[in-house]
Amino acid sequence: MNDHRSVSIVMIEDDEGHARLIEKNIRRAGILNDIRHFTDGHSALDFLYNSPQGPALNGPALVLLDLNLPDMSGTDILARIKDDASPLKRTPVVVLTTTDDKVEIQRCYDLGCNVYITKPVNYENFAQAIRQLGLFLSVIQVPEVDG
Amino acid sequence: MVRASNVFVGDRGRRTRRLLIAFTIFGFLSLICAVIAAGWAIGQTRDYTFWVNHTYKVEQAIADFRVAAERAETARRGYLVNAQPRFRMNYDQAASTLEPALDRLAGLISDNRAEVARVGVLRNGLAELQQRRARTIALVDANRMGDAIRVFREDGSGALMDRMRTVAKDMAVAERALLAQRDADQQSIFLTFEIVLGVAAAALLLVIVLTALTMMRYVRDLSSTSERLADLNESLEDAVNERTADLTRANEEIQRFAYIISHDLRAPLVNVMGFTAELDAAAHSVRELIDHAEKIAPNIVTEEARLAAREDLPEAIGFIRTSTQKMDVLINAILKLSREGRRVLAPELIDTDALVGKIGETLQHRLDERDAELIVKHPLPEIVSDRLAVDQILSNVIDNAIKYLQPDRPGRIVVSGRIEGIRAIFEVEDNGRGIDPRDHARVFDLFRRSGPQDQPGEGIGLAHVRALVYRLGGVIDVTSELGSGASFRISLPQTLIKAQDDRK
Repeated sequence: MNDHRSVSIVMIEDDEGHARLIEKNIRRAGILNDIRHFTDGHSALDFLYNSPQGPALNGPALVLLDLNLPDMSGTDILARIKDDASPLKRTPVVVLTTTDDKVEIQRCYDLGCNVYITKPVNYENFAQAIRQLGLFLSVIQVPEVDG
Repeated sequence: MVRASNVFVGDRGRRTRRLLIAFTIFGFLSLICAVIAAGWAIGQTRDYTFWVNHTYKVEQAIADFRVAAERAETARRGYLVNAQPRFRMNYDQAASTLEPALDRLAGLISDNRAEVARVGVLRNGLAELQQRRARTIALVDANRMGDAIRVFREDGSGALMDRMRTVAKDMAVAERALLAQRDADQQSIFLTFEIVLGVAAAALLLVIVLTALTMMRYVRDLSSTSERLADLNESLEDAVNERTADLTRANEEIQRFAYIISHDLRAPLVNVMGFTAELDAAAHSVRELIDHAEKIAPNIVTEEARLAAREDLPEAIGFIRTSTQKMDVLINAILKLSREGRRVLAPELIDTDALVGKIGETLQHRLDERDAELIVKHPLPEIVSDRLAVDQILSNVIDNAIKYLQPDRPGRIVVSGRIEGIRAIFEVEDNGRGIDPRDHARVFDLFRRSGPQDQPGEGIGLAHVRALVYRLGGVIDVTSELGSGASFRISLPQTLIKAQDDRK
């Protein structure tokens, strides 16, 4: 359990309600990892790259990313994280958004997103998806950041 | 302004063309007049020559007759004075030519009544004269010279001869007068001819000048028009490019709008649904608490609290849920429509017979359920279009026909097609419950339906069909009477030309 706890979850989500629901369901799945929530892209990027507690400087992390943010596009954040020169390029990114647009999904996978989940309006499905994500989190091995 | 100048040029050109045609016709008419006048003048001249000739012949004939008459008289007198056979021979010879000479004259003047009468006088005179001469000649032949001379003196043949001379002279004079008359006629004919010729020449000259002027003006107009046309062409191309850019921008705007709808409307819905579920779970706990409290201490549970937990909360949560679900369906429908507009069309040759056959197979179980049959009138026209779009259009329309069949009669759905010019027309006809004419435009609108709402559906199908048909450059309309079936008519271009905004 200690192992998993060391992986912190960075949630970049502008909708407080969604963030709350996601967190609730992750907790219900039995995942106790630390969850850091950011509602805009800039503060999230700042944390990811520059904060002493952030994954670039301290330990592995998993990013939950919403594509529609008030200050910048989620795909830009994804591109920054997955860039070849980025220290976080091996950090798993789960895109969690309302758009099920095929082009958008393809673009995310092309940029290197690991999982793409559409937020269903149907809450049972949503809860199910998040819980399964929690199970997924409990078994994946998150790589250490290269330097 | 563009249109006005076009009209002006067209009007001007038409007027010029009309003027030119009028001038040409006028010129030709003048020429024809001149030619006719020339022909007429030549004919008249020929007649004139003929009649001049005739006059001379008549004069000649009169002269011949007179000479013969004089010769005969001279010979007779010679014979009377000196009964030599030479004179007798001369007389016979001259006398024998008299009759033919008179005949020839008669033949020549047979058309002139006055002259014919004179010839008659001559002929009678000649007969009388010949008779008298013959008597004197016979007396000389019998050597009765005295008797002969007496008879000669008494028979008045000299006076007769004088009378005949006068008649012959009259004839010659009359003929001369005729000739003079014809001469005058000829002069007037020439005058007329010259006048006609002069007028025609003047007219032709006028036509040539006017035509040249008109042509020059026309050519000038034409060159200025072509210059203007070139200008217009250039600006037209600009205008088309501008419009295309506008359209593309508008289309992109719609795509962005759809994206915003999909995200921004769904995001709050996720919250509403999520927290409703949380609320439901919480309400469940509250209900359990109420149940528990009722058992342990019924006096602390108010009627109000019990109703709230058992009825008001579940009811409110139920309504919120169904409404959000409905809203989700609507948003998805809008999304589907807008996404259809973004799909890149891939035109290919479509065997519509096979396509409709496949649709029929897919819908077979539904046809069986409704006791209906699908009749395809082969062959349907082949078209070059986007297969998926055409498939969806026809599937939706046929599916709709099955959906709204009249339950009390066996269903009959007929699919037919034909070519009209460069368009292919497909018709799907059913004997179902029909659509109220008031709703004909409405059924193609999103979320609008017609008639009793006894069938599942959100009012998306036909809106989707119409969007697809428009996308393929076609039109769709419906003719129907309530209760007697409906006929959907889809007109598509035979060959789909990819629009510019299809580029990615």
